[in-house]
Amino acid sequence: MVAHFAHLDADCYYVSAERVRHPELVGKPVGVLGNNGACVIAKSYEMKARGVKTGTPIWDAKELCPDGVYIKRDFYWYEILSRKMLDIVGTFSRQVEYFSIDEFFFRAEPSARTATAIRDHIYETAGLPVTIGVARTRTLAKLFSDTAKPLGAVAVLGRDHERELLAHMPVTEISGIAGRRAARLAPYGIRTCLDLADADGRLVQKLLTKTGYELWLELNGHPVTPIRTERTPHKVLARGGSLMGNVADPTLLWAWTVRHIERLIEELRFHVVRTDALGVQVAWKDGESTGGVCKLSCPSDRFDELLDAARVALRRAYVPHGTATHLHVIAPELRRAKGFQLSLFDIPDPKREAVAAAKAAINARYGRFKVRSGTTLHLPKVYKDPANDFDICDVRGKVCF
Amino acid sequence: MITEMVNIMCVGVALAYSELPLLLMDKHGLDERIHDRGGEKEVRFYWAATPTLLPVWWNGRLQVVRWGNKDRAERKLPPTGWTWEDSIVAGKWSELAPEPVVVPATYGLANGVWFKLKQGMRGLLVHDRKGAPVVFLICQPATRYYQVMTRSEWMPLLVDEVI
Repeated sequence: MVAHFAHLDADCYYVSAERVRHPELVGKPVGVLGNNGACVIAKSYEMKARGVKTGTPIWDAKELCPDGVYIKRDFYWYEILSRKMLDIVGTFSRQVEYFSIDEFFFRAEPSARTATAIRDHIYETAGLPVTIGVARTRTLAKLFSDTAKPLGAVAVLGRDHERELLAHMPVTEISGIAGRRAARLAPYGIRTCLDLADADGRLVQKLLTKTGYELWLELNGHPVTPIRTERTPHKVLARGGSLMGNVADPTLLWAWTVRHIERLIEELRFHVVRTDALGVQVAWKDGESTGGVCKLSCPSDRFDELLDAARVALRRAYVPHGTATHLHVIAPELRRAKGFQLSLFDIPDPKREAVAAAKAAINARYGRFKVRSGTTLHLPKVYKDPANDFDICDVRGKVCF
Repeated sequence: MITEMVNIMCVGVALAYSELPLLLMDKHGLDERIHDRGGEKEVRFYWAATPTLLPVWWNGRLQVVRWGNKDRAERKLPPTGWTWEDSIVAGKWSELAPEPVVVPATYGLANGVWFKLKQGMRGLLVHDRKGAPVVFLICQPATRYYQVMTRSEWMPLLVDEVI
């Protein structure tokens, strides 16, 4: 039997994960709040029915749904359950793609019974409701699983059945076709997924380039995108985000930069890569965004060297008297391990290497930022606040982003 | 003074109906405080309710006692339902022989936002002139997260969790 493509999507994942450990939340309107506690990042169907959307600020959500219950996000927990789901799917399929924290693609037998069995097994063993769609290509599997939410299991195997469903789906349902691309298709009468599937392939390529053409092939049942069982290596790594308010003081801005560099180094070391340059991107309160980059003399993941580069990069990005709201540090030119080329002026510094290793070991054992730069002492509101222990939803190994 | 404080405090506690023994429900006439949230019954204890009551784990059992001194009936007690963790540490309550208690709660309410609680909040229990127990919720400066979520500058001291 030829294996088909399956798409698994957890239903209201963050809310469902909270319900695993708090069963009393089942059936209630529940909203999970984001990193700052200001916006709903996931909502239950009960809360959605009251008009609360992803991204709704809490002050609006509480008006729409006064009885709604709000929960602080816990990305540690969500990752634990996500990996549990991944393990379960792995027992059913040898080829599984960890697309995102709540979405997997995998090869599966072309039957609704298989999809149902996996869905039920995940619900019974992990307590998580998921929806699974099986089809001839991964694009079709994703489209069809979306039609079966929540707790659905569908296998769309025949061309007639495919056409019937595609005819009722706006073309914007396809991941990768939104506003501008949809507008480009509209003059040609391409409004539904079926319209796109039936269009001339050469026209689609002309309008949507190679990516669009591949989607067209997939819509017509020709698999183009394989299951990626391993993530392709990162080309860029970055750390950063909101500055928890407005920052006008350059000392604070520098403290944030240093904090993000410490996080970036952790990530560089995990992936065993070094960077050839360091970039700093700053978003300002007036809506402007500025950036600066500094080249390194040789690839590095060392704090002192990246700090020197960051000073230059931040100076280039800095707007005097500006008020910043977001800041990212970026490692844009990654080099894999083995045989990093040293420059003529790069003298190995075993002392600094030893200090960096000790810092990493202590933080790995006792928690992130247990040992950190004194510069970050300028951010007491960040480090003294026990609610800021884990501030990023970044599951390592997932394919998406 | 009290009205101002109400805006920045946790003003409600909800406990699953199944957690409260029927005996307590009857004794304190709690039936009218039963609400339905998503098909499940819970008992809500609002600061605005009369009488103001809270459930507490005290002397090893669940009891329902008066919450604060809203009606100012007790001169020796502050006219509020909350106290600061700092003032306890500074010994300002020591003359009243206070006891630490846990206020069990499934959800807390602040500024119109119901938030999930793992176990409950910490309270301070003292006695009025007649010897009846009175509980005050212990507060601490809000974390930034809680502050953004509820727009409150003070948050209740929670049992084994930080929001």
